[in-house]
Amino acid sequence: MTATRQRWLHLALAAGVGFLFLVVLLETTREVGYARDEGFYFFASRKYEAWFSLLGRDRALALKREQVDLAWAVNHEHPGLIKSLFALSHMKLQSGGKWFAETGTSFRFPAMVLGAIAVATTALWGMRRFGVAAGLVAGLSLAFMPRFFFHAHLACFDVPITALFVLTFFAFDKALSSEGAGWPIATGVLFGLGLDTKHNAWFLPIAFVFHGLLCALVAWRTGSNRWAATRRHVHAIGAMTILGPAILIVCWPWLWFDTLARFKEYASFHLHHDFYNMEFLGETYFQPPMPRLYAPVMSLATVPFITLALGTVGAALFLRRASKDLVECERSTLDRHRTTLLWVVGVGVSYGPWLSTNTPIFGGTKHWMPAYPFVALLAGAGFQAAITAAKSELERLGRPRLISLLAALGAALAVASPIEQAVRAHPWGLSAYTPLFGGATGAATLGLNRGFWGYTTGSVTDVLNQAPEGAEVYPHDTAGSSWAMLREDGRIRPDLRAVWRVEDADYSLYHHEMHMQQEEYQAWVAFGTVQPLVVRGLDGVPVIWVYRRPARR
Amino acid sequence: MKVRASWLYLLLPIAGVFELCMGIRGRSVAPRAEDYDAIIPVMASLYREGDLVVVAPRWAEPHVRRALGDAYFPLDAIGRSDSQRFSRAIEISVLGEEAPDTQRFREVERKRAGDFSIRVLENPQPEPVVFDFVDHLEPRYASAFGTDPEVRCTWSDRARVASGGLGGHPTFPPKRFLCQEDFYLNVSATIIADEKFLPRRCIYAHPTPTGARVVRFEKVPLGDRIVGHSGMYWMIERSHLGAPVDLEVRVDGDSLGTFSHSDGEGWKRFEVALGSHAGATEASVEFVVSAKRYEHRHFCFQADSR
Repeated sequence: MTATRQRWLHLALAAGVGFLFLVVLLETTREVGYARDEGFYFFASRKYEAWFSLLGRDRALALKREQVDLAWAVNHEHPGLIKSLFALSHMKLQSGGKWFAETGTSFRFPAMVLGAIAVATTALWGMRRFGVAAGLVAGLSLAFMPRFFFHAHLACFDVPITALFVLTFFAFDKALSSEGAGWPIATGVLFGLGLDTKHNAWFLPIAFVFHGLLCALVAWRTGSNRWAATRRHVHAIGAMTILGPAILIVCWPWLWFDTLARFKEYASFHLHHDFYNMEFLGETYFQPPMPRLYAPVMSLATVPFITLALGTVGAALFLRRASKDLVECERSTLDRHRTTLLWVVGVGVSYGPWLSTNTPIFGGTKHWMPAYPFVALLAGAGFQAAITAAKSELERLGRPRLISLLAALGAALAVASPIEQAVRAHPWGLSAYTPLFGGATGAATLGLNRGFWGYTTGSVTDVLNQAPEGAEVYPHDTAGSSWAMLREDGRIRPDLRAVWRVEDADYSLYHHEMHMQQEEYQAWVAFGTVQPLVVRGLDGVPVIWVYRRPARR
Repeated sequence: MKVRASWLYLLLPIAGVFELCMGIRGRSVAPRAEDYDAIIPVMASLYREGDLVVVAPRWAEPHVRRALGDAYFPLDAIGRSDSQRFSRAIEISVLGEEAPDTQRFREVERKRAGDFSIRVLENPQPEPVVFDFVDHLEPRYASAFGTDPEVRCTWSDRARVASGGLGGHPTFPPKRFLCQEDFYLNVSATIIADEKFLPRRCIYAHPTPTGARVVRFEKVPLGDRIVGHSGMYWMIERSHLGAPVDLEVRVDGDSLGTFSHSDGEGWKRFEVALGSHAGATEASVEFVVSAKRYEHRHFCFQADSR
């Protein structure tokens, strides 16, 4: 097969994997209730949608400061790109075309597409580096990490920033291995879009500068030309410096006025973010010092072991081979290892902030989710190493034809457990823990968080829909706008009314989090019962339960 | 025979298969919600009024409460401060777990019901309660008033129920003493979450801006000591922003001790020996609550005489 045909084959296969992932997300989104933050973004997106609509009707008016501020002041603690996509998707695909069965899906769709792009990019990069099977293992390992799979359903920013992160890395890698302005500019553009997605993107230049320094060090060690080793870094980072902030401002109308002051406010919000509560090993942490083991333990507890094992093999082999080349002053060291080094840097820069005990942990594993494509790629590298070893053994045994069969079988075994875990956990993704930790039951016994964001209201709608007409429901941690979307989508009967004090309710929901238990006790006293009507969760572990006022029984 | 290094890669597919099998097995390790119905007939035959029902692991308790209902989980048991007052307990266990607060109890009977192990446990050294002050927070026994100004709180059977939500005050039940100083400065039997977010049933008695809040019980039969606990909802306490709260215990006008509760101490035990008041049949017992700064002092105490 020619190199060109092979490239197209890789692209087609990766796109196919991404597309299938998108189909799976669309087919399974109805089971996932609306998360707390989604509600805020629905609300903001509708405001932005109104502004886009005005922009279409009366551009001059829409561009006036009062109109911009009216729309874009909403939720301005987060950049505007992804919420703009939510708005445009709802406006064009739902209001304009009724593409989806549920309005909520139209808001979720752009994040799903970005999730699919993350999977496709990971698969493609893995294929380009190590071949089709390794790429497929990498892409599917990412797709079916249970937490990634869950977050990929949501109209939030965590999977979009993961996608922009890996895309920017990919473009950067292409910039390093090519000539011309195309890939550096692409890197700069993607960086800007990343900045306009979530603040994790600010770590991208740090990663690339660090990678450049390591490359310079390798060049020095191997006697290569240091400028040649880092020249393209300078080009790409230069493009990022120019294009990134410009795109952030252009694509986020909130920054069009009082730019510096508003940017400072945005930065300050995230640099001095409130510390919310998070349970870890039976303790609720709400202020520094946070447990330093949180990120590694939670990664072990939530990323399938086979993915981590393959990734560890991939990383270990990289380190061994790169060290050997360095010791031997092998001049091709950079060419051979530059991309894998970039993946390792991608993991490091995403986990790095959690070396500090001052970094918040309230978002759980989603904080470092941009590391996961690189973990998956390293898993692909580990898989390829195993296949290569098997190939040499089969050749030694005189059975070289079995290698394709073995590769297919190996790839299936590499992704079977992640797929089983992700499918089983659906739609209780934030309660998912790996078998290494005893699954959901083991994690509950260990005192690991069972969920947050109040999204599991979506898993008790059948119970609520049996309530008497006009019943009032205390939705607990579900945001008002998330509840409203459940109603708009017809998942909850329109006559059921949310009330925000448990004492006013006929039904009270309780989404379990360690620090929220006082609210369950409040329901006990308010309702005069400790007996839930229904208890639901994952693998027998309670996640949400519903109380009904006894007078109504 | 020397094993070729490349064969070590076989560990990877083995790990994949092993994890897959563990995952599939994990689906059925713990009972499902409906499986808990199997304990209903067994518990009906074992349970006696006054028994403490405990569930191990604790995360399974909502399932058990759903299956068994309120009769098995009275508030004084589920919101207990200690298990020593119970002479008998029934432990419902899944996954081989044991409840921590009945570990000193002695097993006298064990049954199985489906996936559940049900053990009847006896307390080798029960501490029978002569009088539980939280149970008796009602006008027949109790009154509440402020000292400065001297304001008597009035009892209501139908007060507006109010809950503070996350980070707010506990639920004020319909039956409570309403005090004139402020809506929040009532005296009521409620439940708070302690430093481990465990439920603690207690008398909510917020200190007053000036003077003290007094909760008086009359005609109280006494044992030889008063044992109690005090604290605040942990999310209030853990910020360490409030003033210490003092709780003085008086019996027939004699001050038997003052206990100070500082933020961060959690659900803290106190005990007073009754001395010459021990064994009294109709004593007057006062709990006097005060703080130098009264703001955000969601003080709650539990007490009984043993």
